[in-house]
Amino acid sequence: MTFWQRLWQAWQAELNNIFTDRAVLLVLAGGILFYAVLYPLPYQRNVPGEQAVAVLDHDRTTLARQLVRMADATPQVRVAAQPRSMAEAEALLISGQVHGLLIIPAGFERDVYLGRPTSLSFAGDASYFLIYGNVVEGLVTAATTLTVQTQVVSSLLKGENPARIPGQVMPTRIVSHPVFNPTGGYINYIVPAVFVLILHQTLLIAAGSITVKDRARRRLGLTAPALTLALPLRVVTFVAIYLLFAMLYFGFFFQLYGVPHVAAPGVLLAYSLLFFLTTTLFALWLGYLLPRPELPTVVVLVSSLPIVFTAGFAWPADNLPGWLDTLSQLIPAKPGIQGFLALNQMAAPASAISREIGVQLMLCLLYGGGLAWLAAKARARDAC
Amino acid sequence: MHTPRLTGWQALREQPWLLALVVWLPPLMTLLFVAVFETGAPQAMPVGVVDMDHSHQSRALQRHLGASPALDLMHPFPSALAGAEALHRGEVLALLIIPRDYGRDLLRGTSPQVTAFYNSQYLLAGKFIASAMTSAGMAYAAQVGVTLRLGQGQDLPAAVAAAAPMRPQITSLYNPGMSYARFLVTSIAPALWQILIVVATVLALCWRLEQSTLPRQPAQRCGALWRLLSPIALTLWLQGVLMLAIFHYALGWSPAGHPLWLPAGLALMVLAVQSMATLILALVSDKVRALSLCAAYLAPAFAFMGITFPRGDMNTLAWAWGGLMPSTHYMALQVAVADHGAPAITLLPPLLMLALFLVPVPLAIRALPIKLASNPTEQVSS
Repeated sequence: MTFWQRLWQAWQAELNNIFTDRAVLLVLAGGILFYAVLYPLPYQRNVPGEQAVAVLDHDRTTLARQLVRMADATPQVRVAAQPRSMAEAEALLISGQVHGLLIIPAGFERDVYLGRPTSLSFAGDASYFLIYGNVVEGLVTAATTLTVQTQVVSSLLKGENPARIPGQVMPTRIVSHPVFNPTGGYINYIVPAVFVLILHQTLLIAAGSITVKDRARRRLGLTAPALTLALPLRVVTFVAIYLLFAMLYFGFFFQLYGVPHVAAPGVLLAYSLLFFLTTTLFALWLGYLLPRPELPTVVVLVSSLPIVFTAGFAWPADNLPGWLDTLSQLIPAKPGIQGFLALNQMAAPASAISREIGVQLMLCLLYGGGLAWLAAKARARDAC
Repeated sequence: MHTPRLTGWQALREQPWLLALVVWLPPLMTLLFVAVFETGAPQAMPVGVVDMDHSHQSRALQRHLGASPALDLMHPFPSALAGAEALHRGEVLALLIIPRDYGRDLLRGTSPQVTAFYNSQYLLAGKFIASAMTSAGMAYAAQVGVTLRLGQGQDLPAAVAAAAPMRPQITSLYNPGMSYARFLVTSIAPALWQILIVVATVLALCWRLEQSTLPRQPAQRCGALWRLLSPIALTLWLQGVLMLAIFHYALGWSPAGHPLWLPAGLALMVLAVQSMATLILALVSDKVRALSLCAAYLAPAFAFMGITFPRGDMNTLAWAWGGLMPSTHYMALQVAVADHGAPAITLLPPLLMLALFLVPVPLAIRALPIKLASNPTEQVSS
């Protein structure tokens, strides 16, 4: 039998292992499509809408009512209730009918016009961070607008030089603009990173369990092509399958969800190739460590949340303890997510991700070497 | 057939993986997340500065911003272009551009603007930087306002009052320090604990079905499952209580309401997740596929529980899918008890929802396969 015939046979055996395994097909066909629809589902409305707040108005004057109207007019806040007492307001917060509270003190209008400092109290339910941020942003916007108006009016009444008023009311300010995700939407924030993680995790499950089962068959002496052919072919097959999935995810689904993607196709393809190569080697190495085919799934299930919060997108990696930052680099998903986000969402040139590329190459050597060593050991034992 | 040896304790002794899932991993994972969020809130985020003015005022503004623990302004760039490149490369997470003549315009009272760009791809860090810059910038503006008015001959009290006439006092209810650690760890840890419960239950059931056939008779079958699952449920429930204790000692979290509601909720949650695990195994009768379904069902639980993105803002499908997960109802209970100190009447709906997950238990027990073959061609016995 020539080399090419053996290669062809070995490859057929690999394909057969993958495409007759119902559990693996469930992940590759069902899982990939299901997760692509499921993970973005909570964020379909993208930016949280108007949040209900209560206003406790101790002043009941024209200016106080004006403040309430202004708060209601901001896109973040809707005045849903005007309770009469603090107890009533607290009951509304606890029952979840409102997520924030604005307290206007008695004597508010008088103090503002007399130029005495008054304090407005805002309270937001900080057990829900995003709601809290929105409520506070809306209430502060309303108060700032009203402050500026009353200051302009009182400065004019005092006969001050109108040219100086802008500087007095707002001597300077910082205007901040979001970049890369201009709407500040959740879809654009979560989807690009989580999609890389889904590809990584499903690849670990599929290639990992295939490898465990293949080891079991070899151990029983069931005829199988030589490992030196089978393992490289398995790597090539999974990388090829996952490049197709990457096109589906980074192409079709990004388009569908309106996620900005700016990387040049060639660069994206090259980085995908490297990422899937590292991840497949990691998966095969895991397959040589774990004794049973369900264990890759167990590892994936338990590791998903830790990866999300150490990969640097949900929580800044600079803020991780040093040991944890280093340790989490050992999982291909972390440099993978950081590299893909930089290339495809933040329009970085390929040279900007040289660190991520370096980490991936080192992981390739580490897991490839580990795999070769474990496979050689297993082959020696099976031969006895 | 009486098989006293096929108990949950025996399963834990024989299965190192199960032992890890039930005994070692739960506290380790909670402590891991405590370590991840050890800084409490994002700190020293790199901010690039392009100072085109180099005046006393532009440096004063930078000092003001740099005093905020969230910001690290030690990244000067000679031009906006160089700064923008660093922003693209992710070297800095925000870029502050101070325009030419900033100091002169400030003194003339023409209200000069400083432009900041923040990386909203890293939304949490970006928003955090933006709000830290806004509040530090407002403090600087108030200080400059007083100086300007004093320069125009106003006396000090009037100048101070005029510079900040309406002082907003922002109080965060229920999370006084605005600690991300408290907010995130107390919701991530229950989501992960739920995953450990579902995986441990499926693995324990499969172990039992591979060891010996399950009795067909309902009473005996229930007894066999009770002997298997009750030790695991008890241990996992204790792990839940330990998790709350870690929140308390490591994060300073202490429930505002009556703390005994939470162990009750944890107990119902363990049972609810075990009920779902049994149902899933009964549906597919295969270990690997059952675990895949568990992954599809509960792996995204954290996103659906309404903590990072309000459940009220989800579409109907997402809202309903979230409702099918025990963790969603447990978190509603935990937030109501721990943060709001809510009265019992508010706590009953989530407890009832958790109890509803027990409805399919009789069906799941009936539908369980009596045996799972352990296939020697699929596993490497060690």
